[in-house]
Amino acid sequence: MTAVAQRSAAPAQPQADAVALRAVTVGEPAWRRWLPRVLPVLVLLALWEVCARRANLEEMPGLAAIGAALITILSNADDVAGILASLGRMAAGFALGLAIAVPTGLAMGRSPAFARLVNPLTTLVYPVPKAALMPILMLWFGIGDLSKILVIFLGVSLPLLYHSYQGAAAVDDKLVWSARAMGMRGPARLARVILPASLPDVLLGCRVGIAMALITMISSEMIARQEGAGELLFNALDMAVYPEVYAMIVLIALLGLLLDVGFERLRRRLVRWSDTLHGEAT
Amino acid sequence: MAAKLIEISALGKSFAAPGGARHQALAGIELSVGAGEFVSILGPSGCGKSTLLYMIGGFVAASEGQIRVDGERVTGPSPDRGPVFQEFALFPWKTVLQNVMYGLRVQKVPREEARQRAMDLLDLVHLAAYADFYPKQLSGGMRQRVAIARTLAYRPRILLMDEPFGALDAHTRTRLQHELLGIWERDRKTVLFVTHGVDEAVFLSDRIVLMHGGPGGIEEIVDVDLPRPRVRADLIANRRYQELVLHLEHRLESMQAGVGS
Repeated sequence: MTAVAQRSAAPAQPQADAVALRAVTVGEPAWRRWLPRVLPVLVLLALWEVCARRANLEEMPGLAAIGAALITILSNADDVAGILASLGRMAAGFALGLAIAVPTGLAMGRSPAFARLVNPLTTLVYPVPKAALMPILMLWFGIGDLSKILVIFLGVSLPLLYHSYQGAAAVDDKLVWSARAMGMRGPARLARVILPASLPDVLLGCRVGIAMALITMISSEMIARQEGAGELLFNALDMAVYPEVYAMIVLIALLGLLLDVGFERLRRRLVRWSDTLHGEAT
Repeated sequence: MAAKLIEISALGKSFAAPGGARHQALAGIELSVGAGEFVSILGPSGCGKSTLLYMIGGFVAASEGQIRVDGERVTGPSPDRGPVFQEFALFPWKTVLQNVMYGLRVQKVPREEARQRAMDLLDLVHLAAYADFYPKQLSGGMRQRVAIARTLAYRPRILLMDEPFGALDAHTRTRLQHELLGIWERDRKTVLFVTHGVDEAVFLSDRIVLMHGGPGGIEEIVDVDLPRPRVRADLIANRRYQELVLHLEHRLESMQAGVGS
């Protein structure tokens, strides 16, 4: 009998959410939403062009020269293959971080004893620029893919570890107890209760991790120059081909933007169930 | 004399306090609860009543003494003792149906059978229409109904309820008390129900364990000799109900006065 009243009342809520959502996304024309985001970039580009024409320096080419260099790079099969190889190493390093740093962080969050064991190590590693470890890794593993993937792994590990740690530590004990009462054992709980419950935090760590992966990818290739985005950038710099230098910087920035926007879409899908879409502003 | 379903003897709990000292939270608890009994644990906040429940659940280890359930010493949680928490503790990434099915899936009940059992329980708590909703889309009362169904699903013999209606508004609380009694009268599970509401305890229970604080212990055990099935509106005019409520209120009041001085 109580159900009758609620059956008519509650389905209204998701509908109301949907209406509110549409009001934000459809309520105003698209250009109004996009203009504030694009405008600062346009202003920056315009300023650059004015300065470049005034200064007339070789080190500060105009937008047309940079654009032309960008097209040249993107139509060169070797360059594109090199950039794709860079992205492949970045993905491999990131995946390694997901496989190792996330479970470690989650376990730290649930076991203070384990956290005490690992914490000194992370505190020690934290201030070391990961790219500075590149020469050592090269000594051990050569200048090939392995040492670059490992340095990317080191770069992404700390944010992944830290956010997983924080997320797991904040999981309500009662949630874990509920799973234990059902008969769920330790390792299964980590994967099926702690991981999903900390997912909003873990995904924030991933977002920081993606930026770190991009940075360490470029710096690893600056040190071990074989092929890839970083090699293209720093070789152009050494040979003073400035339009190419700026074209690579723009390309790397665009890659970063693309990865971030793509990941942010994925993140929102994965934590739709969450009360708060926290971290929206970051 | 045959042993009761739950036998608690010389049970105590102490925590490490700042400065290396030990803080004694509970001491010398002696209690036995028979199968099918509805027992409330009532006491002022901070008296350790929830800690006692967590120890019976096996979530918190005892420092002294022991708890036996059906003769077996409690060393950890078991699907035999199902908790229901004030904070609901639903899995927010699972739908209502998936939450209720969860314990059954953990216990390797085939998916179709688990689904059927979960749907039956959602019917019982009047939430069948919300099977595919996420917990965040439900009101507090509906969430607690899901939590009760989730625990009933894996068929524990003992329900451990930790102020389950404490976070709900008065109207919803009354309705859920009624529904809980209906469910209890149907399958007579043993219920341990922690609360700080005197009328709630008297309305629901066969016996009330009144606790005191500092360190926590049992002050008095009150038999609630009121006929069942109970109807709230009739009870309010019942002389015996009034006496029990007054007695417990006075005891609680004098305890709180003692703490204040």
